[in-house]
Amino acid sequence: MPKTSFRVVTDSTADLPPAWREKYDIEVVPLKVLFGNESFRDGVDLTNDEFFRKLASSSQLPTTSAPSPGDFAGVYEKLSRECEGVVSIHLGSNLSATCESARLGAQSVEGFPVHVIDSGSATMTIAFLCRTAAEAEDLEAAVKACEERVPKLGILALLDTMRYIQMGGRIGRVQYLLGSMLDVKPLLKLDHAQPEIQALDRMRTRARAIPGMVERLKQEGPLEHLAVMHGSAPEDAEKLRALLAPGHPEMEPEVGQIGAVLGTHTGPRALGLVYVKK
Amino acid sequence: MKTRPVAEQKPQARPRLVDGQLFKLALLGSLSWLTANQEEVNRLNVFPVPDGDTGTNMLLTLQSAVEDIRESDAKEISKIAALAAHGSLMGARGNSGVILSQIFRGFAKHVQGKAELTPAELADAFEEAANAAYRAVIKPTEGTILTVAREAGKAAKAAAANPDAGVDTVVRAAARAAKTATDNTPTQLAILHEAGVVDAGGFGLQVIFEGFLKTVEESDPAAVPARPAGSGKALPAQRSLELPEEGWGYCTEFLIEGRGMSVEEIRDNIAGMGNSALVVGDEELIRVHVHTNEPAKVLAYASGVGTLARTKVDDMSKQHRVILDDTVPAEPQGNGKLAVADAQRKRPNGVGLVAVVAGGGLTEIFKGLGVDAVVEGGQTMNPSTNDMLKAVESIPYDEVLLLPNNANVILAAQQVPDLTEKKLYLLGTRTVPQGIAAVVAFNPNRDAKANQLAMAEAANQVQTIEVTHAVRDTTANGVKVKKGDVIALINDKLKHSGSDYGDVVSLALKDIKPESYELVTVYRGDGAKDKDLKVLTEAIGRDFPGLEVEVQDGGQRHYPFILSVE
Repeated sequence: MPKTSFRVVTDSTADLPPAWREKYDIEVVPLKVLFGNESFRDGVDLTNDEFFRKLASSSQLPTTSAPSPGDFAGVYEKLSRECEGVVSIHLGSNLSATCESARLGAQSVEGFPVHVIDSGSATMTIAFLCRTAAEAEDLEAAVKACEERVPKLGILALLDTMRYIQMGGRIGRVQYLLGSMLDVKPLLKLDHAQPEIQALDRMRTRARAIPGMVERLKQEGPLEHLAVMHGSAPEDAEKLRALLAPGHPEMEPEVGQIGAVLGTHTGPRALGLVYVKK
Repeated sequence: MKTRPVAEQKPQARPRLVDGQLFKLALLGSLSWLTANQEEVNRLNVFPVPDGDTGTNMLLTLQSAVEDIRESDAKEISKIAALAAHGSLMGARGNSGVILSQIFRGFAKHVQGKAELTPAELADAFEEAANAAYRAVIKPTEGTILTVAREAGKAAKAAAANPDAGVDTVVRAAARAAKTATDNTPTQLAILHEAGVVDAGGFGLQVIFEGFLKTVEESDPAAVPARPAGSGKALPAQRSLELPEEGWGYCTEFLIEGRGMSVEEIRDNIAGMGNSALVVGDEELIRVHVHTNEPAKVLAYASGVGTLARTKVDDMSKQHRVILDDTVPAEPQGNGKLAVADAQRKRPNGVGLVAVVAGGGLTEIFKGLGVDAVVEGGQTMNPSTNDMLKAVESIPYDEVLLLPNNANVILAAQQVPDLTEKKLYLLGTRTVPQGIAAVVAFNPNRDAKANQLAMAEAANQVQTIEVTHAVRDTTANGVKVKKGDVIALINDKLKHSGSDYGDVVSLALKDIKPESYELVTVYRGDGAKDKDLKVLTEAIGRDFPGLEVEVQDGGQRHYPFILSVE
């Protein structure tokens, strides 16, 4: 294998399209999903479809865990023999201990530069950063490109129920969504402006909520990248993509499925608009 | 209790002028006559559903109008009229009650500054009162209390043109025209014609005019109709004019909560303990209003029947108010803890929410969605303007969104903005599902105006199906129903009847184009049976597989099921 100047590392929550992974030779470190005592490596031991089937049928809600520093150390160790540096782009530290594990893992590989990028975000925003980084000329340019874009990452997510995100506890000042006996569908936002997930709205039906997401996206201004993500709701994702076309004629949004770790926190039938602002 | 007729108190014949004291006695006469005929007015409900107690609403409104004037010795009619206008506005309940309060308001405005009225001036005031009521209503409908008020005013004016006319001539003309107009209401409103009844509110006003007439027309009792049109039983005229010698004692009000209570029995017992007894409700919740010299005796009796709530005893002679347990917001079944938790954290936009809700489950749902104060009320107990005002004042926000959640509460709610210093935003929610849809759309990060818009839009997108039993045989909206039938109302209008919950609900859902909706929330009422719920949800599952069904405990009375389709 020819030695390149740097490589890109990410984690399974980037929902990196397999084609990009192959094309840019990106290393993906899996997070873990636990159903009771059963532990699965995200995207390795469990496909996304298998996960959502299991989520629907399991009486017990799964839990998730970040990779260990050792998991990262092993990857960096290997890459230190193949290239001169790594840009390691991960699930936000506001959501997970993944970045912390990556930093600790990097310390155990002495003399090998590992730049950990805390995306403050999740899913394909991270994949967009990975692609941008991989296309950079050298390590320095890759890190710079990532650092410039982190403040521009955003996610609008429509959950089908409050149940999962409430159990996962990764939600900020959204008390107004809680305490309700009615199952409301929250429209959430995660971007650089606030460290925590924000609740924008709550709705009772998807029919009204989906066009609402497209409306809301207009407030974000011009976009560099855009993707539609879903958790086992491909038809709604297509609906959403079709609604985006008139407002974003120049873009061809990717459509992808979120993985098991994010799915644990969103629950089934989640929909997301994932973007990088210009 | 020994009483004497008004005629003996006011010995002069054929009054030529109306002063404050005569007007006061006349209103008390109206109150007595309406009390005697309250059930008759209630019976005129167009819809065969157990709601809209027009007679009770008008009576409570009139009682509130009269409350403050009982103790007034003011000779000037302007003062008495102003007190009545204020009192009626505070106590206004239901549409007819609110219109009645506007009639008083118009009357009071017209007689401002006057000590007494000539017959011609009285006629003008009647006419102006009707005009004011017309102006207060956004879309005046003919064949209602408005028409009756206008015709009464017109006839009074015509009668006053005769130079020999006395006060009695004018009032008699008004009362007779009111009766004629009431009798004609079925020709103006198809819905009344179909149901074979006269307009309840119009009839109520007719009764008020007749009671008024009884007081001013003591010299010729034969001219008084023995009973109002439509009444099933003749009531001795004297009874309606009873005034207690010892004063009015204590105005005693409370709710009794219990099981299997007999309204009639309790009414009879309480009526024997005082005056102006008003005992309404059903087997599980009864509202009592009575004027008595022995409130302790009344309360002791009532506490033996069930649990007392919202007890209020006012000493009417000293105007000294003793509030034993004045809980505002009223929450007889609600969970107080939730309300406290909500109050502790003020939201960023400084906007509070007040909703009119009946039923324990629904109260919890509204509170869970962020409503700060719940005003107890709904079908059979329309809350008064004052009830809503108190709730608005009780919450720690200067801007308040008010949700009436019932078509019969909207008009009373519309009076609240004029009475509070707070900035009030009224939502026109006509049903419980509309109210819930609106509250779901509330966002604490948006300002009040933006919330009002978003909430109104959300309310408009929901369809309401209310399922209950017909309380009598009738035809309404072209739907023939028999007493006991399962009936479905779509957005407040009677649409289907039948014997089976599943069939009736399926028919109703078909009407509203189910393919454009995705979720049916079934709010289960108090006393709804498991098997009926099963029949209903299975029918939806079978006939409309594309609709998701969610069942919630509503706890509302009278409506076993309320469905929200969105």
